[in-house]
Amino acid sequence: MAESLSDTLWDVVICGTGLPQSLLALSLSRSDKKILHIDPNEYYGGAEAAFSLQEAGTWVNRLSLPTEAGSTRGVFRAASITKPPTASTSLSFPRAYSLALAPQFIHARSELLSQLVSSRAYRQVEFLAVGSFFIIKPASAPTSAKPTIVRIPSTREDVFSTTAISAKAKRVLMKFLKFVVAYDSDPQTELWQQHADTPLADFLHEHFKMDAELQTYITTLTLSLDGRISTKDGLAVIHRHLSSMGVFGLGFAAIYPKWGGLSEIAQVSCRAGAVGGAIYMLGTGIKNTTTTDGEIRLELTSGDSVKTRMLVRGDETVGGEVGISRLVAVIDSTLKTLFEVVVEGAPAPGVAVIALPAGAVTTAGGKVSDSPVYVLAHSSDTGECPVNQSVLYLTTLSTTDSKDVLQAALGSFLTAVSEDRVPDVLYELYYEQDLGSVESQTEDMIFHFPGPSLSLSFDDRTLGPVREAWEKISGGEAVEPDYMIFTDREGALDDDDVYD
Amino acid sequence: MHSSIASDDSLPTLKVLLIGPSGAGKSALLMRYCDDEYDPGSSAATIGIDFKIKKLAVRGEAYRLTLFDTAGQERFRTLSTSFYRGSHGVLLVYDISSRASFLTMERWFEEAETNTVDGVPLYLVGAKSDKAENNREVSPEEGRALADAHGARFCEASAKTRENVRRPFVDIVDQIVRSPDLLAAAKSGRALGTVAVSSNSAAGGYFASCLC
Repeated sequence: MAESLSDTLWDVVICGTGLPQSLLALSLSRSDKKILHIDPNEYYGGAEAAFSLQEAGTWVNRLSLPTEAGSTRGVFRAASITKPPTASTSLSFPRAYSLALAPQFIHARSELLSQLVSSRAYRQVEFLAVGSFFIIKPASAPTSAKPTIVRIPSTREDVFSTTAISAKAKRVLMKFLKFVVAYDSDPQTELWQQHADTPLADFLHEHFKMDAELQTYITTLTLSLDGRISTKDGLAVIHRHLSSMGVFGLGFAAIYPKWGGLSEIAQVSCRAGAVGGAIYMLGTGIKNTTTTDGEIRLELTSGDSVKTRMLVRGDETVGGEVGISRLVAVIDSTLKTLFEVVVEGAPAPGVAVIALPAGAVTTAGGKVSDSPVYVLAHSSDTGECPVNQSVLYLTTLSTTDSKDVLQAALGSFLTAVSEDRVPDVLYELYYEQDLGSVESQTEDMIFHFPGPSLSLSFDDRTLGPVREAWEKISGGEAVEPDYMIFTDREGALDDDDVYD
Repeated sequence: MHSSIASDDSLPTLKVLLIGPSGAGKSALLMRYCDDEYDPGSSAATIGIDFKIKKLAVRGEAYRLTLFDTAGQERFRTLSTSFYRGSHGVLLVYDISSRASFLTMERWFEEAETNTVDGVPLYLVGAKSDKAENNREVSPEEGRALADAHGARFCEASAKTRENVRRPFVDIVDQIVRSPDLLAAAKSGRALGTVAVSSNSAAGGYFASCLC
């Protein structure tokens, strides 16, 4: 029944099942294109994959081996797993976990969500609210013997009711928030334009007379990895955050796909591709490509040789200049206080964001962090860990000390959130992620997606190259307004069947 | 099309999967059960069908059954973990006239067992029972033994002759609704605490109703 892979002239071979490739498969799922979608990995999701503990172990081992033909090392390196011996009995079975390699939450106003809704793919994904943002202040004798955690007021009611900041600071904060809402129109534009490329913190200080603490609140909302985001970019990010507030419900600005984040969106998109007739093969990479008059001949690692009109694949080169270090930790606490509902009627959040600003972390060796560490705390509602546990995703810019910095940050975080006892760490996964190339590239009939963004929230710029690839594949048939707009697939038939 | 579904939103929804090797007859079974259609010429992999919906009443109560086919992803065994998520029951289908198809079932059981939560009923179906007389390669005893080994129920069915076509579907729903945990999950609809993204409030935004 199944036609042979090598007899078909494919319209496109998509290599990799990371988010961009998967969204491309979704965008083509109602076309008549003949699509072969392969991935050298045995799992879906590429850089956005989510792993059980067993899969994480396999992944770490594979990263330590020399790269095989047909696969590239990709953007990850230096991975290791640590299981404190005392805690091993508390870990559940491996499949009870779904650890996201590069978790990103999605702002309500993101174009990604509009596309998931208009393409009907959202029906197979469950989303949780991303709740409060917090800051950890280091211990400062004599007033506080341990690090403390403070919630950043993020709604109007919050700003009024918080006891964390002074009345004067509240006025400053409100004035700033009001400014951001219309920051991109006159007369506000004039105010910041000349500072566009200088650090946001300086602008906040000069124009709003914000003290260092308020500046930190605001820069934390931008999730800037180096903490030195420019005024222009910073205002845009905060504007996105504030305008996303309340779009899908009270009290939250962003959402996170249950069961491992973007990995779910990639899988659901690939399923849509399969429903549309695309053929899927995992554990199959490209060994060799030869281009001959209007066709590309691909030698696959499976031994098959296929021919296609176009090849779309992920980034093969690693930029290497900027990178981030990540630490994923499973802990034996529900972190109840971080996931409290702070606005009446709001859904219980599954994700909380905690920042340890630059300088807030000191390693055992006495090194002080020079960029922020961000912690995304995921409750068991995300389906990423069993009940009574939580998963922490720590991220900071890579330096020679970043592993120690993340360890120290984890320690401060756990001390700051502890009530009666400091939670135990049951499992740790450390790795580094390089920045891939930032632009898409086309050579002849081959299209390369850029590497994954290092951002902690989904970057809409990821979507541009997907559309570019779609246009190239669709050629003259492309009808712009139809991009990613589909009707529901399910059949109309809805008979009654009675059985007693 | 969609409005008829929306009006049934109050019914408990059960997600049932059909898995098994290519060519076992999953889609034929599905089409016969849902639409009472059978196309003897159609042997190509199923294209364009995400899932089928069937309303049925078991023990006096109505349910909305959503039946998910593999969409060809069984061919190279690339079904995703997200496909299995939230499923209440799984039908594992093989072809009684193909020993090769039967021999893959151990792996399909394993995949179903690892990707579903405890207590989800599995049901083994030997399809194409109309071929029993001339082309049978798997005995019903073998089928039943495999099912027993995995605590699954078993029957043989034929989309061509309609023999037993309703039985696996109705039986598995019966099993699902007799499990209080599975039924509770089905009745709660959207999982607790999840956010609906399909209808955003145009008036959203931090300053929609304040600070003016």
